[in-house]
Amino acid sequence: MRVIGGSGRAEVRWIRADLRARRGQALLTIVAVAGIVTALITAATLLEDGTNPWRGLFERGRGAHVWIHTKGVPDVAALRGLGGVTDIAGPYRSAPATLAERGRKVPIALQESTAELPPVARPLLREGRWLDAGNPEGVVVEQSFARALGLRPGSPFPVTGLNGATHTLVVAGLAESGDQGFYPEWTPGLAWTLAPTLTMVEPAPGRTETVTGLRLADAAYTDIVVQQAVITLRNQVQRVSTWREVRASMELDNRLLGLLLALFGLAGLVAAALALANAAGGRILTQLRDIATLKSLGFTRGQVIRMLVAEHGTLGLAGIALGLVAGRLITTYALSGTVVVPLSPGPTLAIAAGTALVVLVAVWLPAWRGGVTPPIPAAPASPPGGRLSRLARLALLVRLPPALVLGARDAFTRPATAALTVAGVAVPMMMITIGLGCWATLDDFIRHPEQVGQAAALSVRPGDLTAQEALGRAMADPDVVTAYPGVELDALVPWQTRTVRTRALGLSGDPYPFPVVEGRMFRDRGEAVAGQGLLDLLGVRIGDRVRMTIGGTPLIVKIVGRVIEPEQDGEVLSFGIDSLAAKDATPPQFYSLVLRPGADPGEVRRRLESRSLEVDQAVNPADRLAVIRLIIVALVAVLALIGLANLLTASALGLRDHLLDLAVLKAMGLTPRQVMATLVTGTGLLVTAGAVLGGAAGASLSKGVIDLEGRSSGVGAGIGRAPTPGMLAAAVLVAIGASLLVALIPARRAARAQVPVTAR
Amino acid sequence: MTQPPVVKVTGLVKIYQTGGLPVPAVRGVDLVVEAGEFVAIMGPSGSGKSTFVHMLGGLETRTSGEIWLDGKRADTLSESAWAVLRRQKVGFVFQFLNLVTNMTVADNVELPALLGGASPRQARERREYLLSELGLEERAAAAPGRLSGGEQQRVALARALANHPRLLLADEPTGNLDSRNTRDVLKLLGKVHRQGQTIVLVTHDARVASMADRVVSILDGQIVDDAPIARAPRRPVGTAGDIVELHG
Repeated sequence: MRVIGGSGRAEVRWIRADLRARRGQALLTIVAVAGIVTALITAATLLEDGTNPWRGLFERGRGAHVWIHTKGVPDVAALRGLGGVTDIAGPYRSAPATLAERGRKVPIALQESTAELPPVARPLLREGRWLDAGNPEGVVVEQSFARALGLRPGSPFPVTGLNGATHTLVVAGLAESGDQGFYPEWTPGLAWTLAPTLTMVEPAPGRTETVTGLRLADAAYTDIVVQQAVITLRNQVQRVSTWREVRASMELDNRLLGLLLALFGLAGLVAAALALANAAGGRILTQLRDIATLKSLGFTRGQVIRMLVAEHGTLGLAGIALGLVAGRLITTYALSGTVVVPLSPGPTLAIAAGTALVVLVAVWLPAWRGGVTPPIPAAPASPPGGRLSRLARLALLVRLPPALVLGARDAFTRPATAALTVAGVAVPMMMITIGLGCWATLDDFIRHPEQVGQAAALSVRPGDLTAQEALGRAMADPDVVTAYPGVELDALVPWQTRTVRTRALGLSGDPYPFPVVEGRMFRDRGEAVAGQGLLDLLGVRIGDRVRMTIGGTPLIVKIVGRVIEPEQDGEVLSFGIDSLAAKDATPPQFYSLVLRPGADPGEVRRRLESRSLEVDQAVNPADRLAVIRLIIVALVAVLALIGLANLLTASALGLRDHLLDLAVLKAMGLTPRQVMATLVTGTGLLVTAGAVLGGAAGASLSKGVIDLEGRSSGVGAGIGRAPTPGMLAAAVLVAIGASLLVALIPARRAARAQVPVTAR
Repeated sequence: MTQPPVVKVTGLVKIYQTGGLPVPAVRGVDLVVEAGEFVAIMGPSGSGKSTFVHMLGGLETRTSGEIWLDGKRADTLSESAWAVLRRQKVGFVFQFLNLVTNMTVADNVELPALLGGASPRQARERREYLLSELGLEERAAAAPGRLSGGEQQRVALARALANHPRLLLADEPTGNLDSRNTRDVLKLLGKVHRQGQTIVLVTHDARVASMADRVVSILDGQIVDDAPIARAPRRPVGTAGDIVELHG
């Protein structure tokens, strides 16, 4: 046992000495791995949180699974006695009221709460303060509702009760809740007040209702508990809502986001493996002689492998640990606005274990290579003989300067290493290019919203006006070019238990400019275009007929084209409003307004709102995917770092291989500058090859990859854009320039150094 | 009871396969080295003397023949078993590239002791003793690259002796040193030998070989001459142990 302990000490001693001797390189490895893990954690957190914010909100606020609306106060003891019920929220009184906001009246629900945050179904205060008995005018508004209305803590909150009396309350704070869906999917908007305030707004007890929340031991009991509660409370129950409805209303159509994040995550893992294999491999190749010495001292092959895996693996694992911490910190602090709950343990563990596995595999191969080194230190691993490569011969043929020719020869003396170096630069470069392609796609969404179905920047709802009046007022605006009448209805699809969105917009003869990418636009009544998501859902193709029940009326439509459909994961059917039954089509629910090119939608919106129109501004899909940009920037930084690490390895290797040649080169009469040029050419050529190759591969792949993501997300193929030529050229040039600069420093030092001719 | 010889080699053969052609480097060498002997192996370049010594330390595998180290058969050992045997019984000094470049002189000398299972304290004490004996204690923290060739070889010697090896194998230890450094290193070897250290030294330099008790000449992979060097009788051979009082 003592022997093992002792030899372990020898290994530790060597590892420590080696790490000390290359602190910078070791740190770079750690940072690269940490960067990748951070990006993965951040991406996964955003994804988890983005796909379902409900989980976090509900758990944090200890939400109630079932909400029972009753006329009077229910028998709380009986509800508490129901099997599976662990806690009761409320009962709270709730009153309908109206918020007067910029000339329009928004229905709201006022709900009683206590000055102390309740233990169950606790609203999560995000801004401002909670209710306070000393400040009875204060209300706390549900955050998504407040955002939609532009309310901030301190904003006036003029509320009109059913009796017509208006009370000027003040927004004290904004809170989120897992018991209420997001506005506008979930209406009416919610505001919490103290009981006296509620009584002031709605003094008549007959006009309020009571809501009681039941928190269950297991969400699976929901249906049974609802049944039992309804039976227990007999005729008192007016309405019951469950967590499922809340969750459904919060689910966002961001499958595309998830897929893009997954793509980047995978890319990050591959890049990490490559970076580590390259760094460890390069390092081990430079110290084969030392390893031989160690073996002559009595290190066994197993010990050498173990030592190398331990050294490089430790760097990787340190990177993972650092990345986990950094990821947690970033999601908690830097993204505290978007992220509610840190990543759950499952995915965190999966990321940690996955990267750890990648790290160990990536490190094991070069370590094994080091382990089988013959133990004779006097025989250094020499590069295979310097036959002029075809490229070098070509260079000679066109009379390039000798330094370039020699450098070109050097670049390919070790084909395997050269290939690894090229790949080490090309793969990060390719991922960067695909990232830039995503960026270009998002830019394109914004620059050409009509290509993602958002030709109309605004839509107006008549509200209190007649449709004709609303249309007249909208068209009166100088910036409004066209208005398409529209109706959105849910349709029941055969064989599906769920509904899909149908959108009747424009007339068959004068259709709204949907972005048709396959097939053609509808021209007649009974023809429709669909998003990829709908085609996948129904398993139909262009040219098929589908039967649907829209607004109670059965309708058979022929799908004649596929459109880019960023809404509802592409599960939308669009057709002319004249295809609908007259009762559904008139009057139109809204008019979609196409603005004059260059008009500012926000400006037009304000003008229209001042004419008492209800105006909605389209949310560009790029805004919903905005977080991708953050990820792209982070990923590009990490990938650049990885490329740099690969490059350092390559140039260190190049130097080692050619250290002895340098003396010969100098003896042949090359000036230090020419020697330097030779060395820089050697690495530069590989880097340039890698950067160009990676850039080209990325550019040709990015459109396809993004389209693939678009297709599987339901939005549909046709959104992908390659990075703009300028962007691509800039990226490649920056990569090559930075690489040459990095290669220059060691080359310069080597060229100036006095080279010993002896050591071979 | 007689001690077994430190080295016993019978019919040792090494054939390299170069490009499919067998190239014999050592062809049937028999050699016995008794404890405390200092044997010089001489021969021109390419005579197979380095290959022979590498095989003695297990750095290269033999093609056929037997190697017995300290009474135990060693040629059948696996690579790992050879490594363990080396760390306990064999010290190596090569012509150059002896030191682990990324470790300090102190670490280099402590490494074999740690590898052999000594505690860090024991290893440090041993290192301090060896370096002070060699007059290198103030270079302990230096990187090997900062030492002169002579200093590097002395450190290599210190490291080879760190585990009290039964056998010290030296492959042209003075091959790239000037005459003054050569003399220093040889003086050290002589002193170590007088303490009872068994040494097998490869050289092509007759002056170096003259330090030994016995000169074995190898030509084309075969022993052509094996003769003791006559000299004034010295005090009897002791057991292999510490080098003590290398000064003076």
